[in-house]
Amino acid sequence: MTIGEARIRVPARIQKGDIIAVSAIVQHPMDTGFFRSADGQPIPAYFIKDVTVTYSGREVAHFTWTSGISRDPVVTFTLVADREGPLTMRWVDNKGAVFEQTAQIAFSTT
Amino acid sequence: MGMAVAAGQAVHPGPLFGAVFDPDPEVPNEQVAQILRDLFGDRPIRRGQVMLDMPVVAEDGRVVPVIIEAPELPMTAGNYVKAVHLIVDHNPDPHLAAFEVTPAMGKLSLQFRIKMKRTTWVRAIVETNTGEVWADYARVNVSLNGCG
Repeated sequence: MTIGEARIRVPARIQKGDIIAVSAIVQHPMDTGFFRSADGQPIPAYFIKDVTVTYSGREVAHFTWTSGISRDPVVTFTLVADREGPLTMRWVDNKGAVFEQTAQIAFSTT
Repeated sequence: MGMAVAAGQAVHPGPLFGAVFDPDPEVPNEQVAQILRDLFGDRPIRRGQVMLDMPVVAEDGRVVPVIIEAPELPMTAGNYVKAVHLIVDHNPDPHLAAFEVTPAMGKLSLQFRIKMKRTTWVRAIVETNTGEVWADYARVNVSLNGCG
C-alpha cells in the first residue's frame, strides 16, 4: 500500500446533463492518535483533513475531515455532468502532504 | 422514586444497552450543544428533509457506513444545500466531518465510512443557502470500539 494512492470512478457512459455518481478512494492510515503500536509507543494522529473537488476548473465541493473517517477513505457523491473536462480531487493530510487524482468526464457519442 | 424510574425503563423494549443515557436526540449533551450553537447559532434545527441511513448495529466501530440524502431539497442556483455536518455524540471528536457542497452536484447524496467509539446518536445536519437547518438522527449500537 502506498499512502496517497488514489482512484476515482465515474460511470462508463455519460450523457450530457446526467447526474452521475462519483466514487473515490485514497490510501491513508487515518490514525486517530489514540492507539498504541504493538511495542506500546503511541501512534500519532495522521489523517486526511481536507478534500477539494474541482470540475473543469471550478470548485464544486470541499470536505473537512477528521481522523474519525475510516482508514483508506472512500467517498461517493453526485455531480451534474454538464460539460466535458477533468474532474480533479485533491486530498491534504495533517502533515501537509497533497495527493491528487483526475478522472475525465466525457460524453458518450451513441 | 429512583426504583420506580428504573422499573419504568426496564419494561420498555427499547434499543440495546446504552440507550438509557441519552434517549432523546433533541436533547444533546453539553459538548454537542456547543458544537450546534457554534455552527447554527440560535436557528432552529428541525427534523426532516434529510435522511441519514446507518446500521442499527455496527459490529466493527472502525468501519461504519454512512449514507446521507436529501432528495426533497432543491439544488438549484438560487436555492441549495450548502453544507452537511456529521456529528457523532460520544466520539472523542464529535464533529466528525463537514461537506461543503454546491448546486453543481445536482442533488444531495453522500456516502462514506466512519469510526465510532461506542453506542450513540449520530446526527446528519444540513444547512441551506437560505439559512434553514434540517437534521436526521440515527442511533447506532457499536460492538467494537473503533476509536481507541
